Amino acid sequence: MSNPRLQEWLQPGASIIVATADAEGVPAACRGIAIAAGKEPDTLILYLPAATAHEALANIATTRRMAVAASHPLSHRTVQVKGVTRGVKLAPAADEAFVRQRWDAFAGVLDEIGLPRRILLGVAHWPAFAVEMSIEQIFDQTPGPNAGAPLA
Amino acid sequence: MKLSTLHRCFQGVIPSLVATADAHGLPNITYVSQIHLIDDRHVALSQQFFNKTRRNLAENPHAAAEMYDPVTFQAYRLRLRFLRSEKEGPLFDTMKLRIQAIASHTGMEGVFRLIAADVFEVTRVEKVEGFLTDAALPDAEVAPTGMRTELRGLQLVSDRINRADDLENLLAATLDALDVYFGFSNTIVLLFDEPSQRLITIACRGYGGGVGAEVALGEGLIGTVARERRVLRISGLDEGLRYGRAVRRSVINESGSVRPEVPLPGLPDAQSALVLPLLIEERLIGVLAAESRDPFAFGEWDEAYLGVIANQIALGIDRVIDDEAPAAEESAPPPRPTPPPPLRARHTLTYYRNDDTVFLDDEYLVRNVPGRILWKLLGEYKKQGRTTFTNRELRMDKSLGLPEVKDNLESRLILLRHRLREKCPNVQLTPAGRGKFTLDVAAELDLIER
Repeated sequence: MSNPRLQEWLQPGASIIVATADAEGVPAACRGIAIAAGKEPDTLILYLPAATAHEALANIATTRRMAVAASHPLSHRTVQVKGVTRGVKLAPAADEAFVRQRWDAFAGVLDEIGLPRRILLGVAHWPAFAVEMSIEQIFDQTPGPNAGAPLA
Repeated sequence: MKLSTLHRCFQGVIPSLVATADAHGLPNITYVSQIHLIDDRHVALSQQFFNKTRRNLAENPHAAAEMYDPVTFQAYRLRLRFLRSEKEGPLFDTMKLRIQAIASHTGMEGVFRLIAADVFEVTRVEKVEGFLTDAALPDAEVAPTGMRTELRGLQLVSDRINRADDLENLLAATLDALDVYFGFSNTIVLLFDEPSQRLITIACRGYGGGVGAEVALGEGLIGTVARERRVLRISGLDEGLRYGRAVRRSVINESGSVRPEVPLPGLPDAQSALVLPLLIEERLIGVLAAESRDPFAFGEWDEAYLGVIANQIALGIDRVIDDEAPAAEESAPPPRPTPPPPLRARHTLTYYRNDDTVFLDDEYLVRNVPGRILWKLLGEYKKQGRTTFTNRELRMDKSLGLPEVKDNLESRLILLRHRLREKCPNVQLTPAGRGKFTLDVAAELDLIER
């Protein structure tokens, strides 16, 4: 079930970025492939590429803490979700079409602003890990004086 | 891996990611439009708002960044340790200029501005292995720039500047040479008009018109460069403007209204720009701007040699304006005037005294000093049938309001000639030897003063 405040960012075309931190508080950044509403209220599923998400997965295995931002590249409208992970698994084959379709949509948006689609489609995005996350806080992160304000 | 080998990632074409964590290890992620390369062990981030990233760094100096090569999209990760915030000095000034220019252009000056340049030590840099699949393109190397070719080009441009005998020829020859020898096909020169504190486009190439367009000091990319008297090189201009517009929308939602966006005086879809002040010591002569649809059109090397050319242009402009001094005006014999073609057309020219504006058949033609000059010439043509005029008599005429020193008369005549060429082919100003020109009229004129 999706959180109504996140509807806009659950649509295809958003850019997904992720922060985690290790037990010493040293952060790591990586790119996500897609997000989807989770089955439970106030949860979401984050897809991370298996090829490049080792550090993020190691961090959430120890601290469970995550921050996920979703942004529309054309307008820079951005939201940041913070919470804890509930579980991590290799995404099932049934999710492959969804993940590929979302990455393709993102590539299409970047193509509009000058980064050729063929380059984006060369980014490793499958297989992927599916990370289930409980949403604790949602912030508006659109650039401007209100960036960081809790999303009403 | 040396940071300097990743120079394309630092051009701000693709936003980078920056992760921080608070004292309890709660992570935060944000985009930054540009990571600034200081040297092989240090980078800087711009601090524009007191946001969560700033608060986290005050508690926990560790940070991580992921950045992307805009040609291949290969990702690189940096492990960072926050060292200090700089609120003045060369690094701050360099980073401030880009932000000021974008903010000014999008009507957001004062709303988003550089608060500090946050300096980080880079403790590790690594290529993200496996980020690109085998199907992706291999690293495309940008062809090395040919220094020898460009030095030769520099010599040729310099030679043309030295040989030009008037301002119009100087600017036309320079912009032509920049196109031919350096491939800069979209260029503009604006001269600074001190009394009005505005910059007026006096020559341009690659736009199909535009002479006469004005920019206020401090307004947009060009006005900011003029006010700060510093070079601005922007890649990823489109991305920077999108960011500025996002801030603008956010402010409009909060406060209702903001100053209108400044139209870019050049390409509507420019991806990169190099804007240089034309200076003699600290005196602002004007601005030279080059832009391109290629996001990588201008590198550090271009900035260096275009800087040399800008200095030459500034000196050249100063020289030809000084050459326009009254003593030099008698030196060249006036050529025989061409007899005007038979009069067929009829135009009404109206001069509005309250704002020094001249309209041609109800369409705006020119204003301010060029407008007053045109009105004087047309008046004497109608009353006395005069067609030959000298720069000296214009300088002596107090009613034109030319400054006593550095009156830029030549640039005002160029502007007037261009406007007439574009809007009124039946009335032309033709140079007739140094310090002289003719008024060529091929129409019946009705003059109205209001």
